[in-house]
Amino acid sequence: MADLVWTSIAELARLVASKAVSPVEVVRAHLDRIARLDGKIRAYITVMGESALQAAQAAEASVMAREDLGPLHGVPVGLKDLYCTKGVKTTGGSRILRDYVPDTDATVVTKLAGSGAIMLGKLNMHEFAYGPEGLNVHYGTSWNPWDPGTHRICGGSSSGSGAAVAAGMCPGALGSDTGGSIRIPSSLCGLTGIKPTYGRVSRAGALPLAWSLDHVGPMCRSAADCALMLGAMAGYDPRDPSSSVLPVPDYTAALTGEVKGLRIGLLRRFFLESAGAPQRQAVEQAVKALEGLGASVREVALEEMTYGAGASAAIICAESYAYHEGWLKTRGSEYGPDVRERLLVGAFVTGADYLKGQRVRRLIRDEVDRVLGGLDVLIAPTLPIAAVPLGAREADIDGHAHPVRPSLVRYTRPFNVSGQPAASVPCGFTPDGLPIGMQVIGRSFDEATVLRVADAYQRVTDWHTRRPPLGS
Amino acid sequence: MTDTPAPLTKDALRALAQAQGLTLSDADLEGLLPLVQATRAMIDELNAAPLAEVEPTSQFRML
Repeated sequence: MADLVWTSIAELARLVASKAVSPVEVVRAHLDRIARLDGKIRAYITVMGESALQAAQAAEASVMAREDLGPLHGVPVGLKDLYCTKGVKTTGGSRILRDYVPDTDATVVTKLAGSGAIMLGKLNMHEFAYGPEGLNVHYGTSWNPWDPGTHRICGGSSSGSGAAVAAGMCPGALGSDTGGSIRIPSSLCGLTGIKPTYGRVSRAGALPLAWSLDHVGPMCRSAADCALMLGAMAGYDPRDPSSSVLPVPDYTAALTGEVKGLRIGLLRRFFLESAGAPQRQAVEQAVKALEGLGASVREVALEEMTYGAGASAAIICAESYAYHEGWLKTRGSEYGPDVRERLLVGAFVTGADYLKGQRVRRLIRDEVDRVLGGLDVLIAPTLPIAAVPLGAREADIDGHAHPVRPSLVRYTRPFNVSGQPAASVPCGFTPDGLPIGMQVIGRSFDEATVLRVADAYQRVTDWHTRRPPLGS
Repeated sequence: MTDTPAPLTKDALRALAQAQGLTLSDADLEGLLPLVQATRAMIDELNAAPLAEVEPTSQFRML
């Protein structure tokens, strides 16, 4: 049953519920693949093999007893290692927390388990989520499955989530996104991932990078699977003061395949115009495909985007330093050098800087809301570049060298500042065979339309069904 | 009071760090200086934003 590792979440749930497949078989197939591949890929920090098999046996018993089953019953998922798991190490990809064993689950873990999902393990990440490359000096840097010959980055910070889902080592995973950390690895690993609206999914029990920019979301191999997973995760949580009380719609029901009459804004200025040629062409082709399905497209511009980097820097530096200040003073040598250095920058950001960032944030958020007032979604590239080799500090964009780190977050971080939902959807490959992602941004709390557009596109394209050259 | 702040130097950075209880080595300060300068430059770009009527906001939208 090698194909079980490439079966969608929706299909796995159907096969389990109809007794066509046992959850034990599903979990074993994934554990076997992890054992075979993860020595090289390094997607997992902790594999929860024993507890996953026990949960699978219990899930099988529930099926046989004809109990009511949740929408993810018997489906294994991976968790970025910043989500607290009761009785299971939660390292945040760090040495500082290498032995930290929480006594409660993050709310999103509780919700996934309540929907029947089985936790396969804890996934690698950039230390404390502070880096868009997905580097990790403590547990090894995840290897992008799309190039078995060269160690390329998966993107971060949810690098292990990207690697695991792309390599068939779990059908879906939790990521988190403070400046693009769901969308960047989704784009570089050929996945679909969505950063929901700020407030849509509880952050309680997630180790923070920057409280007011952190978003929790799923990374899967299709928009349909993201819809299923997001539906299980979303909703009000009194443990999270920023959690929204708005009702959660049925995201799967929103996937009608129809985009006729939808109004799409194409972001050329700042976004498409500065992307590499393969990314530009892929996104333009994708927009034409959506136009062919009946959507109307017009170009729009977001003038305040130029302030996105400064606002994001002021907020993320101050908030991350506030969280890490104690450890930086007493356990500074235990951080990886790049993360320690970046965190220390926050010591030199003033209170006035932080509030300036929060004032500019309102400008950016209001402009995105205003532009989306006359549109249903915005479309942009997720990234201007494809996955670079580990250690590369510059990437080529149309014959010019650009620094990798700012290039990775340029198109994604403005929507952490503004808070609207944004997904990355596979829309092509570079001539070297590396995935390209398209970003779909929606109105606040309208993840349904974002997923509807992504799913409609995936019904007429096959980019999301392609597999990395790792063997079956 | 001057309109233009003095350029950030390693010694200035050391003094600011010490005032916050951070003890940083020369190597630390050398690595940090360009990062702090770059971050400060990004934040300084926000001075051009039309903020006269804009209050700070968080994203907490209790809807």
